[in-house]
Formats: sequence, structure tokens, C-alpha cells
Amino acid sequence: MVAPPDNAPPDNDVLWARSVHYSHSGSPGLIGVSVGVRQGEVLALTGPRGSGKTTLLRCLSGHLVPEQGEIWFNSVPVHTMGALARERLRRDRFGWIGPDPQLLPELKVWENAALPLLISGASHRSAKAAACEWLDRLDIGAFARKRPGALTRAESQRVALARALVKEPAVVFADEPTAPLHRAERALLLRTLTTAARSHGITVLLATHEEEGAAVADRRVELLDGRPAAAAVSGATAVNGAGGPSDETPEGQAACSLSA
Amino acid sequence: MLALRLVRGSRPVVQLRRLLVAAASAGTGFVLLYVLAGATARPAGSFPRLLWALVPLAVTAQFAVAVARTDPATRPREGLDAVGLGPVQRVLVAAVSTAIACTLGSALALAAFLHLRGELTGLPFDGAGAGLLHADRPVPVAAALTLLALVPLSACAATALALRPHPPLAPQTALPWGIALTACGLAVEAYAGPGGAGMPVGWALTAVGLSLAGPGIAYACGALVQAVRPGAMRLLAGRTLQEEAPRLGRPLGVLCAVGAGALTAVALRGRGGFGVPLGPLTGPACALVVLCAAATLLTRAVEVRQDRSATHAALRDLGAPGAVLRTAATLRATALVAVCGPVVWGVAQLTSLALTR
Repeated sequence: MVAPPDNAPPDNDVLWARSVHYSHSGSPGLIGVSVGVRQGEVLALTGPRGSGKTTLLRCLSGHLVPEQGEIWFNSVPVHTMGALARERLRRDRFGWIGPDPQLLPELKVWENAALPLLISGASHRSAKAAACEWLDRLDIGAFARKRPGALTRAESQRVALARALVKEPAVVFADEPTAPLHRAERALLLRTLTTAARSHGITVLLATHEEEGAAVADRRVELLDGRPAAAAVSGATAVNGAGGPSDETPEGQAACSLSA
Repeated sequence: MLALRLVRGSRPVVQLRRLLVAAASAGTGFVLLYVLAGATARPAGSFPRLLWALVPLAVTAQFAVAVARTDPATRPREGLDAVGLGPVQRVLVAAVSTAIACTLGSALALAAFLHLRGELTGLPFDGAGAGLLHADRPVPVAAALTLLALVPLSACAATALALRPHPPLAPQTALPWGIALTACGLAVEAYAGPGGAGMPVGWALTAVGLSLAGPGIAYACGALVQAVRPGAMRLLAGRTLQEEAPRLGRPLGVLCAVGAGALTAVALRGRGGFGVPLGPLTGPACALVVLCAAATLLTRAVEVRQDRSATHAALRDLGAPGAVLRTAATLRATALVAVCGPVVWGVAQLTSLALTR
């Protein structure tokens, strides 16, 4: 039997990434990010805009394939899967909720929520029952027969949440789901998401802002400039710190030399 | 100038669509010039021929509008909005780029016309159509230019009208009108019989009726597809069709009308003649009309597809397999063919019965 490498993940990690690199047509998005997600936890990815939260979520959920590094889900390599296998993985095991609700305007609310089940071939009746149950749990059962156009943003976002949860997936990826909402609605949505996930044993990866992440998450990973924040910050202090001369070019210095 | 820059910098597919508009415009321009040449040689009976030439003009304008709608330069874009190019300016850009394509087509038509009459020399087929195009009679320059300007001007005006911001109509509202007009047209044809002035009037009424009924027909197709406990595929196919009926329906109705006309012509030929003599360009002009109508419907489908890219992305985020989406699109097309085919056939049969009784 082959001994596990030193940096092998703990057994209870459901999803993990090791030194993932990804660039958006040349500009670096992720630079060597490693992260492990434990079974059933709510992990918050925090960091400012452009720090690589969304890219990391899309790599972990199989939307994007990292240029270097590995993604493993339940001891299955995701980074080597073909497009079809990743699609099936997303469909069967993952849920996704983004900053926009991305509801289909021509479908009724319950049909939107039931769509993942219908796409996997569930019967009309069972899909409707499951969707309506989740809509009731999220307090939007009254809107089930309306079109998404008649809903407020907070309600639409809850429908998107119901759609992400309706198959009771292994992992729900939430990419700044509270971005279009006001504070009271934000807190409510995050509480709803984490409560539902905890009661159904669903792992949640939540990309969000610092204070929100701290409020609801079990653990936080902070990203900065495509790196884990600790590495990025220590790199920056090594360069800028103590006033001493440095051999390295500090990031952002090139921009400062412009005289606009 | 901005319109020219945007035209110059766009992708090959977009350029190809504009070239198709130019080709359609060239064909229509040539038909108009042919009618003019015929009118100078034989003034008697030239007015109905000119009226028939309005059919290619109308479908060309419709095609130009459809292409202008899919044109990336005329769609809401962050880049253009950021530099202050709002909806009104975009309408102007669309009208100008349509006018450019159509003017190019008209110029080509004029060159081909003069060349085939033998007035431009030095190329093959020089003067090959001298007899057909009545090269012995001079064509009035002002009339030729007026007719040639008709295509760019009508396409330009139609584009500006169609792209101006206005709320969409519900697809079902025009269905009763469409059915009523189609029935009126059939009745007029049956009453007037073959060979009279009733035939073009009746046919025009039928065509307008069918094009008005198009959105309603498409909506009904969508409703049928998603009826009774639909799964994901029928749900996506049917609801999309219902949602897009206002946009797909009109060109669908026009294609139905054109198809009914073509089928009627085939049936009439089988039953012993049209009652009116056909010119040498009738066949090519009919082909132009059919191609333009079909290209318009396809272009509208491309536009719908462009507009639904966000929905598409949402479905891909859910992990919807590509096969489901493709099958849904096939199902939509099949439903439209299955419903429109019998309608076209029925209208054609009734028309040919009315004209040969």
C-alpha cells in the first residue's frame, strides 16, 4: 500500500484543492491556492473583489479546470474529469447559487425550483412535491405559482436557494448570494442557507464579505490577490516592511511610478 | 463614421449576414430595374408587374431588419453605453449600417443590369441579356435611381421603426385578426375567380392574415408542447416557444404565407396553368422571396439564441446536459413544422381550388 503524501487531506475532507493555479486569458486569477472543505461544515471564502473567490468556487465546482494543481471530491479527482463527467457531477452532487438568481423567466417559481430534479429525469409529480416542500421551508410557498418577474430580489434569491437545495446535494456553492440584497435580507438569507444546510448535512462553500462570513461560518479562508491571505500579506510585508531596501519589485509599484 | 467603424471591425459571421442583406437587396434591385425596362418597352400592363415587385421589396426589408436586430453594433452593450451611445443612437447606427448594406446591393444590381444590357463592356456575359432587358430602349435615369433608392430607404426606415424602444405585444392578440384576414382573402379569391384583379388582392389579404396569425400559432405550439405534466425537455421547449412567440411568430407567418404561395403555384401548374403569363424572372424572384423569408426566420432564431445566453448559462450552471438543450431546440422546431405544415398545405389547397373552379 502506498503511503499517503505528507500533505494528504484529512479523511473527513469532502472537497479539497491543492496548489490550484488559474489565469483569465493571461491575468492571474488563482496563484497556488490550497483549501480543504470538511464534511458538513460551512466554510466562508472571504476577501475583496477580484481576490479570486468566484474563480476558486468555479474551479472547485468543476465549472473551470485549473491550469495546475488538483481538485478532489470524495477521493475522486475532478481536475482530470472530462466535461461530461464534470457536468454530471455538478448535476448530481453540487448545488450553485450566484449573486444573480438566474431564474428562467418563462417558468413558474415552483418549476424553477424543481428544474434540477426535472433535468435529472424525476417525474413531474415528485419534482413538484419536492420543490413545493423546499419553497414552503424557505417561506416562499405562497409564490409557487407565480412567475419570477413578480418577485422581489430577496424572494428571487430564496427561490434560487431552493433550487440549489432541492436535490439535497453534497456541496452547495454560494457565490456572494447576498450581493443584491439589503442588510436585513442578507442576514436572513444566510441564516436560512446555513440552517437548512446544517439540518440536512449539506456542506456549504460561501464566498462572501468578512463580517458576514464570520457571523455564519464554521471556518474562514481569506483570499487576497489570488492567494491565501496569509501568504499574500506576508509577501507584501516582506517587501514593504521595516523601510529597508528590497530587491524585489513590490506589487503595485509600477502603477505608482506613473505621473498622471 | 462610427457605424462604419463598427461595421468594419465585426466578426466574419456578422459580415456574412450583412453580405446576405446586400445580396437580397441586389436581387430586389435587379427585379425592380427589370420591371422598369419592361415598362419602357411595353407600358401596357406594367403597373401590376410593379406591384408584384413590391413582394421581394417587402421581404428584403424584413430580412434587413432581422439582421440589424442581431447586429452586435446595435444591441445593448456595456462598452457602447459607457461612451454614451444610448438606445436612440443605437437605432441610428443600425439604420446607417442597414443603409450601407442595401446601397451596396443596389449598386451591384445597377452594375449587373447595365452589364447585361451591354452598356458596360469588357467582362464575360457582356450584353447577354440585351433582349430580355430591352437594351434597345433607353431607361430613364431618374426612374432607375428612384427604384434603386427604394430598397435602402425602405430597409432603413423599417429598421429605425422596428428598433425604436417600444413595449412588445402579447402574441395571442393578433390571432383572431389573422384568421379573419386569411378567411377574407380566401373568400375574395373564390369570389373573383381566376384571372381577375381579385387574385392579387385575395392573395395579399391571405398573406397579411397569415403573418398576423404567426405569433399566435407559435404561442399555441408552445402551449401544446408543454401541456400535461411536462418533464424538463418539454417544459423548456414549450415555455421558450411561448416566450419567444412574439419574435419568432411574425417571420414564421411570413414564411407560411410565402410557402402557401409557392404550393399554390405548384398546384395551379398541375391543374392547368395560372391564367396570367409568367415572365422570365418570375422563378428567380420567387426563389429570392422564399430564401429571404427563410433567412429572416433563421436570423430571428439566432437573435433569440443570443438573447437567451443568460438562461443558457444558468442551465449550464445547474449541470443541464447539452443533449437536453439541443433536444429541446429540436422539439421546438418539430412542433412548429408539425403545426405550420398542415396550415400552409390547407391554405394552398383552398387557394388553388378557388382559382381553378
